[in-house]
Amino acid sequence: MTLRLRLLLMIGISMLLLWGGVSVWMLKGVEDEMKTTLDRRLAMSANMVAGLMSQNPAAWAAMPGRVATTMPVPGATTGIMCQVSLRGEVVARTPGASSAAIDSAPLGYAQRVVRGLEWRTYTVEAHGLRVTTADRMAERDSLLDDVMAAAIVPFAVALGGSLLVLWFGVGSGLLPLERLRQVLEQRTPDTLAPIAGVKVPRDLRPFVDTLNTLLERIGTAIGRERRFTSDAAHELRTPLTAIKTHLQVARITRGADAEQALDYAEEGVGRMHHTLSQLLTLAKVEGAFSWDDGSVAFANEVGRLAVRDAAPAGGVRIEANPGCDSVELAVPRALAVTALRNLLDNALRHSPGPDSVTLAVHCRPEGVDFCVEDAGPGLTGDEYGLATQRFWRRQTGRGSGLGLSIVAAIADRFGGALAMARGQRGGLAATLSLPRRAV
Amino acid sequence: MRVLLIEDDELIAHGILAGLRAHGLIADAVTTASQGAAAISNLHCDVVILDLGLPDEDGASLLARIRAKGFAVPVLVLSARDTVEDRVALLRAGADDYLLKPFDLDELIARLHALSRRVGGRSVDLIVEGPLCLDPASGDVRLNGNPVALSRREFALLAALLHSRGRVLSPAQLKDRLYDFSEEIESNALSVHIHHLRRKLGPGLIETVRGMGYRFGSAGQ
Repeated sequence: MTLRLRLLLMIGISMLLLWGGVSVWMLKGVEDEMKTTLDRRLAMSANMVAGLMSQNPAAWAAMPGRVATTMPVPGATTGIMCQVSLRGEVVARTPGASSAAIDSAPLGYAQRVVRGLEWRTYTVEAHGLRVTTADRMAERDSLLDDVMAAAIVPFAVALGGSLLVLWFGVGSGLLPLERLRQVLEQRTPDTLAPIAGVKVPRDLRPFVDTLNTLLERIGTAIGRERRFTSDAAHELRTPLTAIKTHLQVARITRGADAEQALDYAEEGVGRMHHTLSQLLTLAKVEGAFSWDDGSVAFANEVGRLAVRDAAPAGGVRIEANPGCDSVELAVPRALAVTALRNLLDNALRHSPGPDSVTLAVHCRPEGVDFCVEDAGPGLTGDEYGLATQRFWRRQTGRGSGLGLSIVAAIADRFGGALAMARGQRGGLAATLSLPRRAV
Repeated sequence: MRVLLIEDDELIAHGILAGLRAHGLIADAVTTASQGAAAISNLHCDVVILDLGLPDEDGASLLARIRAKGFAVPVLVLSARDTVEDRVALLRAGADDYLLKPFDLDELIARLHALSRRVGGRSVDLIVEGPLCLDPASGDVRLNGNPVALSRREFALLAALLHSRGRVLSPAQLKDRLYDFSEEIESNALSVHIHHLRRKLGPGLIETVRGMGYRFGSAGQ
């Protein structure tokens, strides 16, 4: 159902019901009022005749008996009829009055049917005179119908008119929406440019603005994903090229050359494996993957495990804080170790010799800081911002370019932070802050 | 044929160098754009293999730079970027050929030979000079239709002299075409190779121009 039809039905039906109810109520009131007024007129006429007759009793007391002829009165035989009688004898009667309808009418108001015609009578007795007035009900009803018609016709015309106005009004009111619909319909699914050039009223502006913001966000997200996919393909092509080239060399050479080529090919496989597993880790950290394995991560234990993974043969000095032994992190153990291990890998890669990398663990009331410092060349101004970008690496860097991105993603996901600064020995000092589990 | 490889990834560079050398080519590798530009300016090379992702400068901009300086050496670009726009932009910027990573070593070498052949103005691989017939791609040499067995150096020396089309090449220029940076060259190495060539192909094929160097002799023609 279109919006226009829906609005029209809703407003139209409620208008019909409300105004219909009001008019029924109003007409009922008019009808009651009319009946009362007509009844009162009947009674007033009877009282008036009785009053007139009683002013001169001699005029009619002297001539008892039936009135031979009634005086003809000009005019229609409609309206109120009247009959005056004295002790059962009719003294006077308006022309057209049906004696059958008026005779023996009870005192006060009465309603009777005589020969198929319905009458309304009023009878009053004074000084021996009995005055009866009567109205034909059919006449009353037609009068009532006329009044009703006079009230209903303008009302019905107004109602019909307003429905018509409503139809066009709703249509023209919805025109901006219709224009918007046409603009959206003409777009191809991959058009992500903001909607422009459509004139919309002020109250539709927020809707269009929200839509434009959404389009922009989707565009940015898609652009980022495309770039990531392209970068990832590029990153994987490099080790793949190395592997393929060395395998081909191994096939056409012999002896030591072939051995060397195979060794290089294996190194390429190792590098590719590393890049792939980093990519998978990043995708999992950034995705909806659930990491909660129920394991408990203690600050010092995380430090020890990460150092063991990064430098199994030693080469990292740990300054573990004894107070951190039983400090629990609000991060799954596997991820905390992965993040710290990536920091240590990075530090070891850029450090000149063994034992030039240090790991210090500091516990604060709200979190734990893991500070990794190396004796490498450090980073320059711009590079601090670039370091956590995916696939960024220093000119001579040999890593996958994803290590620090993973650390930042893990910190981000669990409400921690990664800060990088120049260390005391001139190298890079990276601080990974992870939140503590609430006790 | 001497090839200059500009590639920052050492693992790939090792592989390509080993592959080229295994196919009898003389090859050197540098890892940065600045080293590459210096090598192109100062050394003789027949073909350049250029990787796009260099640490100090984008390969495409290096290419534009060396073309602007007037170096006409054929350049084959290696890249992992595979969109049509990338390829078109590179060819417009002065690349002579384009190969997508990962590539086939045989294809790379065939393309290098094709580039060198075009520069030499030939449409087939074979170089024929009088009774002598040399196939740079297969390393096959025939004199009057009979195969002649040459060592890698002898072959490179003969190819260099044939490529220069009768121009005189100094001993330094010849050494440039015969050895890569990493090799130790003994002082009399060149004359030893010349001597062997003359012995295998006949004395008149290589002429000594006193005080200047050597050239492919008219006796061969």
